[in-house]
Amino acid sequence: MIRIEDLTFTYPGAARPTLNHVSLEVEDGDFLAVIGNNGCGKSTLCKTLNGLIPHFISGDMTGRVLIDGEDTAAMDVGSLAKKVGYVYQDFENQIVRPTVLDDASFACMNYAMADYEERGGRALDACGLSQKKHDYIWQLSGGQKHLLALAGMLALSPKLLILDEPIAQLDPGHAREIYEVLKNLNENHGITVIVIEHHTEFIASYCKHTVLMKNGEILWKLPAKEALRRVDELEESNIFPPQITVAAKRLKEAGVLSPETKLPTTVAEGEQVFGKLLLRGDYRAAVRPSVRGTKKNVEFSGITVKYRAVKGDSYPIFNDFSLDIHKGEKIALIGSNGAGKTTLMKLMMGLIRPEAGDVRLDGRETADIAPEELSNRISLVYQNPEEMFIKDTIRGDIEFAMKMRKVKDYRQRTDELLGMFHLEKLADRDGRLLSGGQMRRASLAVGIALNPSILLLDEPTANLDIATRKEIIKTLNALKDVTETVMIATHDMQLVCDWAERIIVLSAGRVIADGDRDAIFSDSHVLNQVGIRPPEIFYMGSRLLSQARCYTIEEFTDLFERKGAS
Amino acid sequence: MSALSENILDKLSIDNIKTQVLKNAYGNDDTVIAGMDPRFLLAWYCFFGIVPWFLDNVALLLLLFVFVAVTTKLAKVAPLVLLLFCVGVFSQTGYLLLVALFFGGDASTVLPLLVMSLKVAVVSLASITVFSGLDPDKLASGLLWYGCPDQLSFSISFAYRILPILMEEFQNILLSYRMRGVAPEHKTFFGKIRYLGYQIKIIIQAFYPLMLNTAKRSRTTVEALELKGYRYAVQDKRVKRMKLQMLKAGKADYLFAGISVVWVLVSVCVSRIYF
Repeated sequence: MIRIEDLTFTYPGAARPTLNHVSLEVEDGDFLAVIGNNGCGKSTLCKTLNGLIPHFISGDMTGRVLIDGEDTAAMDVGSLAKKVGYVYQDFENQIVRPTVLDDASFACMNYAMADYEERGGRALDACGLSQKKHDYIWQLSGGQKHLLALAGMLALSPKLLILDEPIAQLDPGHAREIYEVLKNLNENHGITVIVIEHHTEFIASYCKHTVLMKNGEILWKLPAKEALRRVDELEESNIFPPQITVAAKRLKEAGVLSPETKLPTTVAEGEQVFGKLLLRGDYRAAVRPSVRGTKKNVEFSGITVKYRAVKGDSYPIFNDFSLDIHKGEKIALIGSNGAGKTTLMKLMMGLIRPEAGDVRLDGRETADIAPEELSNRISLVYQNPEEMFIKDTIRGDIEFAMKMRKVKDYRQRTDELLGMFHLEKLADRDGRLLSGGQMRRASLAVGIALNPSILLLDEPTANLDIATRKEIIKTLNALKDVTETVMIATHDMQLVCDWAERIIVLSAGRVIADGDRDAIFSDSHVLNQVGIRPPEIFYMGSRLLSQARCYTIEEFTDLFERKGAS
Repeated sequence: MSALSENILDKLSIDNIKTQVLKNAYGNDDTVIAGMDPRFLLAWYCFFGIVPWFLDNVALLLLLFVFVAVTTKLAKVAPLVLLLFCVGVFSQTGYLLLVALFFGGDASTVLPLLVMSLKVAVVSLASITVFSGLDPDKLASGLLWYGCPDQLSFSISFAYRILPILMEEFQNILLSYRMRGVAPEHKTFFGKIRYLGYQIKIIIQAFYPLMLNTAKRSRTTVEALELKGYRYAVQDKRVKRMKLQMLKAGKADYLFAGISVVWVLVSVCVSRIYF
């Protein structure tokens, strides 16, 4: 249904074309993943399919794009929109109406379809939002907003849906939900789906074909599983193949698996391949010594916080909540959206006052400590880095707090911080205009400028592609020695495994588990209750051997008997 | 005393103001007023928003005031808006009264001032009833029916959509200033004044990052509007007709209109006969 013929596109003023002689064919009913490193032209390619390029975004375009045999250059955006739906990465900005049904049927109304409300309603049903029809947008969770953005496009009954990084902002539970909806649309409604996706585990489970792009060119299009087995090529493009596939490849190279073995891409395939291997008789799960501080740093006692609802009574977020945090701990705070993670952090900063109970910092009530002194000792880095940029350059933002406090050699300290986070070349740029990873690094630099003894990070790896995420995890590991006590609220289980020494699981304002990673990840009851999933390799390992604790690929390959040894 | 001033500052905190604004925008969509046909309310407003200026009969104005006070009550307007209304009306006339007395006025000045404050009060409460009680989306449809351009009515309901996002973001930016900035010492009287000045300064400064962030968001919004066919809709008369189809006058609307007319007529008679 889609035919791209020798397409080249250059944005106005750009030195090089963003798309370079691209040719591609996509059949009806395909579920296609487009992968490639940042800036390789994935989004640009997708925008040529719905006619935004060349009709809305100008630039230099040669070659043709045919949808159902019709040239997009000869059609207008309106008639294309009825065939091709597009869900943006920042989907929240795509929702333009105040209530759910209204937004879902907005496009149909604009195109003067008399049955616009029914169409919107049907789209909501298909996305599992029929219960929410009359809600306001702000009452929805992040995952529901994404489904609504999808429904808004689906209402026009397009034949093709394009989604730009659909799960980048979602916790793992919601991510599955989105993909299940897409699978249903693809299989039962005959809709062709194209996703721009970094999460190869999802590609392995849901996609039929994969296209790899690099520097504006398409390197290949292959069946999804075959594509994922090309580990070296993917890694070269900063794509991380499923951990299971990489592990199998290592075992193959070590001679443990036979050279003809087809690399597995999912846990089910993995069970077949690895299940045949001999497990090491002397395997003992590595035990990381438990690090628990003894000196109380922050104490929450009997905290009650109520959320002031727009309608009706206020409801409690925390009710008689108590928790101790000790000096030197590296804590990951996990739990589903709305469990109270951000509220807990804002309580420590004194940004929210509890209705009952008190928060003590080194034995002193935070209510008695001046805000300036508190922020010298505790620092909070928001989930959304844009909200940390209050000056028009990165340098200005980093030095702001030090300048206000008349720190003597603040210029030198700013230079040091810029160097530490590799921001020297970006020092005079506005923070908002940087890439996701750069923004995140800049916000971390702002956060530690005052040398706080407690650092609080809210979702530091959200909205980042996997390569950037790895880079941030590296930065966080390096920061371990800089700041004494660190607490991270996150959905990112890889970060939790790699970094955290103490894990606190929050659910509906209560601590339901508190321990190290072994304790948390082997407690399936807790995992199910808050909908978190350990990294895939951990899951794979435990399927083969119930007491296995593999957090990395190395630990996993270590499970098996080497041929040479036996 | 310090506890009291802390308390007042707490009530005026950005968080509280945010809740109040949101309550005002979204919290009263199930009231009698919110359920009404916006065309009736706008016509109603044309009377209560204009006619009182030309009246000077205290009794008539008082009766009208009672009526709009009742409608305001029905609209369940957020307390903050009412507080601003009270402060606005009474500080204005109270100040005039003081000035009048100081420059040799006497008790007779009270009456003209009362007339004026009643006029202002009736018109303001009528505005609050219509613009605060009706949800902005309905208001937009009403305006569209009266021939306002579609762009205006779309802007109103879009503002209604993004208000919570903007409030949240504005609050976080202000907290950034609060965490990283240094507030002047505010124990003494002058310190408190300086502190107030500082607060106002950061509120103004916080608009700059807020605007830039909004500009960044709007890139996607503009493209999405194009995809959702907004440009076509503006040119298409059928779409306008479809939008207006949902405006339906019901029993409650006629009842409200009837009560309004009767109340005004009775008020006019009463004021003629007794005063």
